[in-house]
Amino acid sequence: MKKIFTILALITSFLAIILAVLPVSNLAIIPAVLALIFGLLAFYFSKKTGQVKKIIQFTFFLTIMALAITTYKAVFTKTEVANTDELEATETKSEEDAIEELEELEIDDIEIDESELEDIEL
Amino acid sequence: MTRFLFLLIILWSFTFNAQNTAVSSNEKLVYTASYNMSGILTDIAQVTMETSNVQTSKATLLRLKCTAATYSKWDDFFRIRDLYESYVSPKTLKPYLYKRNINEGSYFKAMKYTYSHKTNTIKSVQTKKKNQVENKDFKFSLGAKDIVSTLYNIRLIDFEGMNNGSQKTLSIIFDRKETKAYITYLGKETINTAIGTKTCYKISIGSQSKILEGSSNNVLWLTADTNKIIVYGKFKIPVGNGELKIKSASGLKN
Repeated sequence: MKKIFTILALITSFLAIILAVLPVSNLAIIPAVLALIFGLLAFYFSKKTGQVKKIIQFTFFLTIMALAITTYKAVFTKTEVANTDELEATETKSEEDAIEELEELEIDDIEIDESELEDIEL
Repeated sequence: MTRFLFLLIILWSFTFNAQNTAVSSNEKLVYTASYNMSGILTDIAQVTMETSNVQTSKATLLRLKCTAATYSKWDDFFRIRDLYESYVSPKTLKPYLYKRNINEGSYFKAMKYTYSHKTNTIKSVQTKKKNQVENKDFKFSLGAKDIVSTLYNIRLIDFEGMNNGSQKTLSIIFDRKETKAYITYLGKETINTAIGTKTCYKISIGSQSKILEGSSNNVLWLTADTNKIIVYGKFKIPVGNGELKIKSASGLKN
């Protein structure tokens, strides 16, 4: 049991730290909570046998790091859109092209006729 | 993102012409699109819907513009910069020109429809990378519209005159094909949003295609006033589910 929980704590704590540094940092909470549970269970069983391995403490360290990074990112990282220059240029060019294309349409096509104002049964 | 926008567009699409009493020429609606990852909603992109007047020598048209851009933290993983436009009659929101410019990482696609309402035909031009241009003319049925203009046309629906559970059918032109979508009115509901507590019309949407999973999973809340702006949406697509939440609204007509 002790071995199994130690391995599980190690895997989930590594997963938590990897997710914490990625943009999906809020997902790190799930493996971090699991790592804490597995770590505590591994700690409990190790205490029973009388020797607590350093690896269990290491999983706690990783988990706390993951939670700290996640919390920091959730509080201080701004959700914003950057680098929209290209999109803005596309928008401007698209509008200019559209005006040219609309100029080519027959005026009759653009003028609103009476039938347009009638509701059409769905 | 395309699927997400398709959903958004479907939700706005409508197949009737009525006078525009809801959409002004300087309106700006900003939304946050979130995706459900393992039960946790993660903000992915910003969706902006803007309107403006476009002057030609013959007429003044209304430009309906929708953009989608991923938040900066996602740009290194998948970068989305999509632009959807429709040039419509300001009085009836009848479309005359539709343009779509998809820029998603290494994927690029542009589409243009030029409507001829006299002959009910659309001249389309599709451009892909390496200048792969494909022209195609096709017929469209009465009331069928591109996704952007239908998205705005939904705001002209008289929900007050609808009973709970009543359904309307829409025809949407997407990727040069007409698709049927079904809107079901689910009644009124009051919800909290970033722009205040709003009483809303709640509608669900389903489609003929498999792009939306189940009509009860795709729901929109539109303000129960004369503007009828979308303030909240829930959607489910084959690869997961997510939400659309309003962030800000300005330049409203009423």
